[in-house]
Amino acid sequence: MYDFFANNALYVVLLVTLTVWLGITVYLNGIEKKITNLEKKILE
Amino acid sequence: MKAVLFLLAFAIGLFFGFYPALHKPRPLYWRILTIIILTSMIVLALFPHTAGTFSDAIVNYRMGVKHDIPVKIKLLPETKIIENHQVSYQATDFTGSTIKFTVLFNENRTDLLQIESASSAIVLMHREGIDNSFQAGETVSLNPMITLPFIIGLEERARILYFHVPMSWIAVLAYIVAMIYAGRYLARKNIRDDITSSSAAALGTLFCLLATVTGSIWAKFNWGSFWNWDPRETSIFVLLLIYAAYFALRAAVENEERRARLSAVYAILAAVTVPFFIFILPRITEGLHPGSKGDANIGPVLSPQAEALNPLKQIILSLSFAGFTLIFFWMLSLQIRVKTITMQLLERHNTNER
Repeated sequence: MYDFFANNALYVVLLVTLTVWLGITVYLNGIEKKITNLEKKILE
Repeated sequence: MKAVLFLLAFAIGLFFGFYPALHKPRPLYWRILTIIILTSMIVLALFPHTAGTFSDAIVNYRMGVKHDIPVKIKLLPETKIIENHQVSYQATDFTGSTIKFTVLFNENRTDLLQIESASSAIVLMHREGIDNSFQAGETVSLNPMITLPFIIGLEERARILYFHVPMSWIAVLAYIVAMIYAGRYLARKNIRDDITSSSAAALGTLFCLLATVTGSIWAKFNWGSFWNWDPRETSIFVLLLIYAAYFALRAAVENEERRARLSAVYAILAAVTVPFFIFILPRITEGLHPGSKGDANIGPVLSPQAEALNPLKQIILSLSFAGFTLIFFWMLSLQIRVKTITMQLLERHNTNER
């Protein structure tokens, strides 16, 4: 396991960074949708 | 080319940042554009291998660096010689130099034929006795499509550039946006401008903190400790204190109008110090950070020297500037809309109570 991480450090960092970025994207998209719905409700 | 790319990145970021208006939802195409730009930046920044030259290996050896460094080579199969359980080749390193270097491989190596037939290979190397003779270590990559340049003293740590620098630039942008909307508030007395200004200042502080944390982690591995009180670190610390005082001021004043008026004046005064602490002070004082007084240039990003940043790094950094600007405006828009909804609900609640 240690050898795998040591030999593929660059790809592990890439994978972790992409996962974090994916998480941020999903979170921001979720908030975007919730706020848009709230704005519609308030307008109604 | 560098200036054009960076200006284009900022133009794209600012255009899409303010379009549609900050208080409006970000359309789907807008969000997809942001995701594509930042994802491609992350892949380009972290996927390609770093590859140096034989000169880099020589300089590293003379500096006392013990580990092997990756060198992009092309072996000349016709020069192959086998003796003393070692296979030697003459090789070039894609610098355009006519000097041929000798690369020694262990005779039992299984990937020797692959390296020999490859149009290029990145192999770990260390200098062996004399300057034009090298012992080959592990193979990093065969026929790499793109590579990032090897920077002596920084090596893989140079990749922080694509995250740390845009974060600090976005902090500057956020503080400028906060200042502009603070000025607008003082001129028009519209509470929406106060919401935009305070939201931009909050996000500016978030990006400033992220730049400090990423810089601090980099400092641990490059300078030996997380915090060194380098002029750059000191100036960003002072800047964080200035904006911490801004939020303390906002929290201390209860009256909405008075809070908005006082914090608008403070935001303008605080933003005046930003260029001094980010761009001027660290460049006129001696320090460890790239671009300090006494450094070869004013930092790789702002330096007018073409060789300070290679074309691929310029493209990645431009994508990073555009992507981070868009994500800042996305977060700003969300925060403004949340605060506006809260304000509207409070107003409605107060009206109903009366």
